[in-house]
Amino acid sequence: MHMSTSILTWIAAILTIGIFSFLWRDNPFYKFCEHLFVGVSVGYTIAITWYNSVYPDLFDPLFLSPLSKVSLGSKLLLIIPLLLGLCYFCRFIPQVSWLIRFPMAFVLGWASGVVIPAMLQTNVLKQMQGTFLTPGIFARWDVFLWAVISFIGVVCSVLYFFFSREHKGALKVASETGIVFLMVGFGASFGYTVMARMSLLIGRFQFLLRDWLGMIQ
Amino acid sequence: MKFFNYLLKIDRRIIYIVVGLLVMFPLIKPLGLGVTSGPRARTLFEAIDAIPAGKTILISVDFDPSSMPELYPMLAAVMRHAFAKDLKVLLCGLWVTGAGLADKAATEIPPEFGKKYGEDVVFLGWKAGVDAVILGMGENIKNVYPVDYYGRPLDSLPMMNDVRQLRDIPIVFAISAGTPGYQDWLLYAQSRYGMRVGAGVTAVSAADAYPYLQTGQMTGLLAGMKGGAEYEVLVQKAGYSKAYMPAVAAMDSQSLAHVIILLLVIVGNVAYFATRKRGA
Repeated sequence: MHMSTSILTWIAAILTIGIFSFLWRDNPFYKFCEHLFVGVSVGYTIAITWYNSVYPDLFDPLFLSPLSKVSLGSKLLLIIPLLLGLCYFCRFIPQVSWLIRFPMAFVLGWASGVVIPAMLQTNVLKQMQGTFLTPGIFARWDVFLWAVISFIGVVCSVLYFFFSREHKGALKVASETGIVFLMVGFGASFGYTVMARMSLLIGRFQFLLRDWLGMIQ
Repeated sequence: MKFFNYLLKIDRRIIYIVVGLLVMFPLIKPLGLGVTSGPRARTLFEAIDAIPAGKTILISVDFDPSSMPELYPMLAAVMRHAFAKDLKVLLCGLWVTGAGLADKAATEIPPEFGKKYGEDVVFLGWKAGVDAVILGMGENIKNVYPVDYYGRPLDSLPMMNDVRQLRDIPIVFAISAGTPGYQDWLLYAQSRYGMRVGAGVTAVSAADAYPYLQTGQMTGLLAGMKGGAEYEVLVQKAGYSKAYMPAVAAMDSQSLAHVIILLLVIVGNVAYFATRKRGA
């Protein structure tokens, strides 16, 4: 057993125990760790945003790079995103807060044009295609079985959300079958959620026992 | 009746201690329950294994430290696989708080295989604007990332001479803890540029990823820490790496934790219905 001599590992271990202390009850040590985490996250985000995005893409080419490296045309072009970006800060000045509409309109327009066709292609058309019963599914019995179950599941789940008619007769049977599929889906999600939360706990224990205390190899 | 009432009133801290001990015990004394690799992990493994040596794969690190136990083992295992096959690794990230994790991987893993930064691995860093970043990379990576994470111009990195745009990369492995993540790579890199996309996701979001597998839009899926363990086993069985396998080491604890959660769910339900019936 070789306990870590790294000060950073010790800090991480003490903060981990601080966060775990909430399981007993809320306390000042936990609150300190929680606030520290929020502060560090924000500070880190600001630093990475500046050094990875704002500085190399805007500040450096616009203000620092000589004309021999970045042409005047490129520099003038960069003024547009700079102004649009600055418009976001107008939100804090009531007299000119309406200026925020310009970047918002730009982002909404651009994103709609880019996202809607891609969404339709990836999440609607391809998924519908995957639900169709094609001759290919008869190649193997298990493929056929899963394809039919998927098909019934999709149709019944969609019918459950069909509210324009009262759920009676065949529609009632279909929508109640849809509920069964939805419940199976929720159960699978819950099972995966349990697995995820346990994984995070295990990860912290691995850190404490391996990296900090040196109890496991 | 008294017993069931007692069960329903157990102090939650006792449950925490029991779960904690059950998770800790197999880490100190492994039970050796074993891990088998499923078809989803094998599909991804085989896809990467089939790429000719010298080619570049893209790994998108779209998670932060809060998902590290689940997702970092996948990142490490896939990088080890790639380096063992003499593939080059291009790292990028759509999560600003994931940059440090990609930096850690780019720094620690290549030396295990004698690989050098700039020649065998490059970390592009993080950029704002998810869809614009992916679409831009589809046209010209250097336009989106003129410099890497460490501020070095991409033109000065030999590896980037062969990689101009997404079409030069046979597969992207998106490791996602949410949005943005693998869905964005499917939306833009897969649907527009026909790029193969493999995904590693947190267990919470695994159920949402399955439809993309069924339609063939996704090439393999690693779900949660178990997915990472499956890939680690595949890499080690193929003789590519002998490194410590954190996800495999965690699987005994995971199994015991699942058993205790199942028992608690069953006991809780039995006690609830028993007390409700008597009360009625």
